[in-house]
Amino acid sequence: MVLCWIALPIFAVLGIFSAKYRKLTIESLECLFKTATFQKCKSGLDDRIKSQITGKLLKFSPATAKVFYKHYKIISLILLILFAWSTYASAVGVYNYIEYGNCNGPSSDEFCILDPTGQNSATCGIPGAVTGNENIIYPKPDMNRPIIGNKDAGLTMIEFGCYVCPYTNKAEETVREVLDYYDGKVNLQFVDYPIPGHEYSYESSMAIKCAEEQGKYEEYHNKLFAQNLNFTNETFGNIASELDLNVGQFGICMQNRTYNDEIEKDKQMAIAAGVQGTPTFFVNEQTIVGPKPFKTFKTVINGELKKVQ
Amino acid sequence: MFGLNVDKIRKDFPVLSSGVIYFDNACMSLKPKQVVEKMNEYYYKYSACAGRSAHKLSKKVDEEVDAARMEVQNLLNAGSAEGIIFTRNATEGINLVANAIEWKAGDEIIVSDKEHNSNLIPWLKLKSQGVVVKICKGNEDGTFNLKNFKECFSKKTRLVAIVHVSNLDGVESPIGEIVKVAHLNGVSVLVDGAQSVPHKEVDVRKLDVDFFVFSGHKALGPTGTGVLYGKKDLLNNMNQFIVGGQTVLDSTYEGYDEELLPKKFEAGLQNYAGIIGLGEACRYLKRIGFREIEKQEEKLNKLATELLSGNEKIEILGPKDWKKRGGIFTFNVKGMKSHDVAKMLDASKGIALRSGTFCVHSWFNAHHLDGAVRASFYFYNTEEEVRVFAKEVEKICELA
Repeated sequence: MVLCWIALPIFAVLGIFSAKYRKLTIESLECLFKTATFQKCKSGLDDRIKSQITGKLLKFSPATAKVFYKHYKIISLILLILFAWSTYASAVGVYNYIEYGNCNGPSSDEFCILDPTGQNSATCGIPGAVTGNENIIYPKPDMNRPIIGNKDAGLTMIEFGCYVCPYTNKAEETVREVLDYYDGKVNLQFVDYPIPGHEYSYESSMAIKCAEEQGKYEEYHNKLFAQNLNFTNETFGNIASELDLNVGQFGICMQNRTYNDEIEKDKQMAIAAGVQGTPTFFVNEQTIVGPKPFKTFKTVINGELKKVQ
Repeated sequence: MFGLNVDKIRKDFPVLSSGVIYFDNACMSLKPKQVVEKMNEYYYKYSACAGRSAHKLSKKVDEEVDAARMEVQNLLNAGSAEGIIFTRNATEGINLVANAIEWKAGDEIIVSDKEHNSNLIPWLKLKSQGVVVKICKGNEDGTFNLKNFKECFSKKTRLVAIVHVSNLDGVESPIGEIVKVAHLNGVSVLVDGAQSVPHKEVDVRKLDVDFFVFSGHKALGPTGTGVLYGKKDLLNNMNQFIVGGQTVLDSTYEGYDEELLPKKFEAGLQNYAGIIGLGEACRYLKRIGFREIEKQEEKLNKLATELLSGNEKIEILGPKDWKKRGGIFTFNVKGMKSHDVAKMLDASKGIALRSGTFCVHSWFNAHHLDGAVRASFYFYNTEEEVRVFAKEVEKICELA
């Protein structure tokens, strides 16, 4: 009976593609029904599977075949438990993928079979980032720092991002969609994490802070993303010019690395929050890693909004 | 004189090149290339009707079907080709006789206790007409009991329907003796030769049988082919079975004139490719020679018996003496289901054999057995294959 339990869903799925397996599915059902009603399983499907496996094992190891033949009920019970567990895990994985864009949930950037290219979860990894940090200090929005979107929104999403990171760039479109969709309810605080080794990463983090000094944070932020990752030595000065910033003051700010300490503080905050790469989003204590689809943000944000209500 | 060149013969059977160890010959023999090519010849070169059209292709089919009928006639040493009726299989041949004889209530038919369903059910079906089926019990070891047989006769006995070689255990019935006894009692004899024709020389005239049936598919021939041989006078006096096209000389809205033999019993368009293929199978069997075929099968059965009979977990069905079992080795492994054993042999070494009740349910039910495993050898099997089989069976015995 145990083998029929295992066989039933497998053959049922294969039966979609082949008539041969449809017949086996019916046999599995018959076997289950008969056994459940204390009758003899007429199809003998369980015996056939048992004999087939024993025969295959005989070819390689008669001793193993003997163990299997003698203890097949226990072995098949173990298999059933494993099967049930893997079915549950698969179902959770599929649910996570549908809801969060990754089989392992919103906060994971691990490999997901349903997203084989990893586009939903890829990040620009932070070298030396500590994994499995149990003492995570979740970041809190700093109302003294710039907020993107409706300032009066009740929920602030924090994004650790890097302007030269392709995945942060990819996520930007979704972030815009989220802010539009939740206009008045959700806003964003963008925290720079310049990825070491990425050209113009540090410079862009410094530039946005120098622009903020002159009251043009959001405009400069938007211009940086509008570069579509095409940065040169002139980019930052050119944007400052386009936005009518005091270019001289901007240049001195950049040259003196005026906000180096602030950048370092942001980095420490990211590390304390367990950020492994950019982009990483925090909605209160819920984490979204990588450029996940809009649905993922929606699921997480709705959950947090419900808590507030 | 020099024995069989099995290696050379095996090249005629493409299925064997797959590595399968084919021991299910009592169910279905493999087909040599020559038979398949002969059938293809029909389909490629003259796939027309026989006996109806005037064109050349039709004439060619007529010639080939006639030639096949003569091959069968020669194989059985039948008196004339007219007594050779092509059927779909032995089962249909038996059904033809069962339905074409006019039975009276109280008529008795004698059958053995280990008949294939094909030579039991058609007779049991006649019970509704008041016909009595008497089961003649054999000996404990599966051999025929002539004394019991003689005691089965009465004044009402009309027919003896008996298996020539049992598909259950390979035991041969003493047809010569059976026919003598039956004829002394004025009773006709029908012999089921499904397991004899492929393996041994059969001479229906010498045996003096009245009806003889066999299947083509067990004798290297195509599936869907079979033969009923009958003595002409008996066949002429029998009613038609299936009627329609080909079975009449003429018809009006009021009636029809029966065709002559053999067409009287061959209704509708026939399996020409199959019949022509069966003729080729007969030629092939004659080329190999039944003496050599029997020798090879006996050699293989002797080896299987010697290798496995010493194992106390193995129960051989039928006589212990391999000489009495032809090419059939039927057994059970104590404590294991026959289907399990067969499945394991297939999965481990690709050994194809039969398990279950081999359509002899009645015998298994009477002996309170669920079934058995049957290895049935043919001339293209080798001693090496038997050794592999025996080794695997030994391994399976260790599991029990």
